[in-house]
Amino acid sequence: MIRLSIAVWAVGALVPAPPRAALEVPDRIVETLHPQVCLHTRLIDEVEEWKLQRSLQLVREMGANTIVEFFPWAYIERAPDQYDWASADRIVRHARNQGIHIIARLGLVPGWARQTADDPRAERSTLNTLPADRFPDFAQFAADFAARYAGSIDHLIIWNEPNLAFEWGYQQVDPTGYVALLRAVYAPIHAANPNAVVLAAGLAPTLEPPGSPNGLNDILYLEALYANGAADYFDALAVHTYGFTEPPEAEPQPDALNFRRAELLRDVMLRHADADTPVYITEMGWNDHPRWTKAVHAAQRVTYTLEALRMIETDWEWAAKACLWVFRYPYPTFSYPDNFTFANTEFQPRPIYYAVQAYARGWENTDLVPKRENGVGTRHASSAQLNDCWISQPNSHSRYRVGTAFWPSAAYNSGGHDNSIYKKITVFVGTRPALSAVNGQGRRCPYAMRSSTGSEAP
Amino acid sequence: MIPLARFTPFLLIAALVLVLITQPSAEPNVYEVFRTAEIRVGVDASYPPFAVATADDLYGLEIDLARAIGARLGLPVRFVNLGFDGLFDALTTDQVDVLISALPIDLARSGAVHYTQPYFNAGLVLVSTGAYTSLRDLPGHRLAYEYGSTAESEVRLWLRRVQPFDLLPLETPAEALEAVRSGAAEAALVDAITARLYLRVHADWGAASSPVTDTLYALVTRGDRPEVAAQIDGALAELFADGTVAALIDRWL
Repeated sequence: MIRLSIAVWAVGALVPAPPRAALEVPDRIVETLHPQVCLHTRLIDEVEEWKLQRSLQLVREMGANTIVEFFPWAYIERAPDQYDWASADRIVRHARNQGIHIIARLGLVPGWARQTADDPRAERSTLNTLPADRFPDFAQFAADFAARYAGSIDHLIIWNEPNLAFEWGYQQVDPTGYVALLRAVYAPIHAANPNAVVLAAGLAPTLEPPGSPNGLNDILYLEALYANGAADYFDALAVHTYGFTEPPEAEPQPDALNFRRAELLRDVMLRHADADTPVYITEMGWNDHPRWTKAVHAAQRVTYTLEALRMIETDWEWAAKACLWVFRYPYPTFSYPDNFTFANTEFQPRPIYYAVQAYARGWENTDLVPKRENGVGTRHASSAQLNDCWISQPNSHSRYRVGTAFWPSAAYNSGGHDNSIYKKITVFVGTRPALSAVNGQGRRCPYAMRSSTGSEAP
Repeated sequence: MIPLARFTPFLLIAALVLVLITQPSAEPNVYEVFRTAEIRVGVDASYPPFAVATADDLYGLEIDLARAIGARLGLPVRFVNLGFDGLFDALTTDQVDVLISALPIDLARSGAVHYTQPYFNAGLVLVSTGAYTSLRDLPGHRLAYEYGSTAESEVRLWLRRVQPFDLLPLETPAEALEAVRSGAAEAALVDAITARLYLRVHADWGAASSPVTDTLYALVTRGDRPEVAAQIDGALAELFADGTVAALIDRWL
């Protein structure tokens, strides 16, 4: 028996150890000149921790300081009140280590919270089926999530694309039902984390007419949300906007799906006097799959993406984040969704990754992407892009003007400061509406500014 | 008493005949393999010049190749026009016997499906009028390519391996070829389909292409239907041997 044990131990010792995923010391910082740049990731399905870490390292190196990540309720609360936070914890741990903020999307119903077996509707239930009498269960989960990750995850998206039947449990989509869901979660989340920002779900860009079994036009759906009092139950609106085959400057039209459709959603907000509510673009982008009819050429994908990012920064002051879909899938889809990615499953970045990296980090773009007079690689931040907000570095008399990008850089600083000092400070996107940063008119800036020491800017 | 030994040879021959007529053939015939007495071919007919759909017909390189395989096997071909993302599902759910739709061989799928030998290499090629057959010949010269594409990925790889060369990133592979033809670059790195179509139109140009990477298109059958794979493989091998495949490629590309 002893010999057998020794043999087993010896064989085991020969098995190569899995790649390590030790946290980096000290914590890393994202270097970027355009902190609105953000990536949607798909980390929750990663089995191996080193892949999760490698993904976040590449996100950081690209210059994105925020990710949108899905945290499925069904993964975490597999039985009532029995939580398994392990997968979520390691994502949060590694994101913090890489200096990356998380916007969490919550959804996906565990089996115990769907229709019961004796319910005649049970056969028709899906992972997105949440009966109204189960809303309190979801609200409790959302509150527990908010409490556990307060300070690490303060932005919570409630559900995903509820204007699609698929995302609404293959039932007729129901804006009033979604308002009820928002109402159910809003107070419990804030009770658990007063700094939490509750985001209404991004709607799927679609032209489905009223009564369609597939879904409902996103503009009409958002109108219905406001008409049913949703404004009281979200702090920010998530927006999904894709360019499909059109360039970013293509005019928005109610009967067309293109990138600037986001402006039509914003118009709905303005019509309902909700201008102060920020927008987070949590999905956007172009696809360059050669076999998809809604795709563009590879070069167009690069050009359109960069021009869209510039447009957001220059013209969409109401957009706090621009999160590109999608960094990487844990496994290939073998179809057109693979061509939304920024890196393949082998962690090889695609050219779009390097193009956005050069933009985000303010590098003079390499000769690999051409410079255009009014396009890629030529425009720089201007004073028009600044929203006249100011922060002061603690223990310093210097003041720095920052734009909607919230990052002190040569482009964003007012004159007369010492660059050597500036390089020593780290300011990153705040996680809640600011109480401290004010602009020249004394109005509150829309986001908190914090120094690397964690103290609030005065 | 008749000696048994006198009949031994006859008994052996009779036994052999009995065995031969009662044993199933090692090679099932084509009607046993394709039980609907036709070859059901899945195709996404939206990718010229490989497969294109009109109101009442299909045409293209792969349509001709599938018909040639059917003719070789003595079976009619029935095309099932599918969306690209439904091709493999149609195969695994037995709606079709074989796929032909500019599908690159992907080792990640090779357990579930069987790929035939490739009939076309759509990988990157280096096109020039000079003696540039590899990116290692480029230092000191200028290369045109489509930025954002797999060509850019290859360029990035080679810039780490060889001495620097000048870059001319453009918005389409056709523009990259045009740059070479106009003298703005010494070579272009583009996909083989674009290169062949361009060189076909500009037959008097005198440029040549050299393969750089492989993207191998093959027919696909189910991994658990080796008898189907054997029939398709056999027919395709004969079409390669008699020059049919090369002629079809020359006709369409």
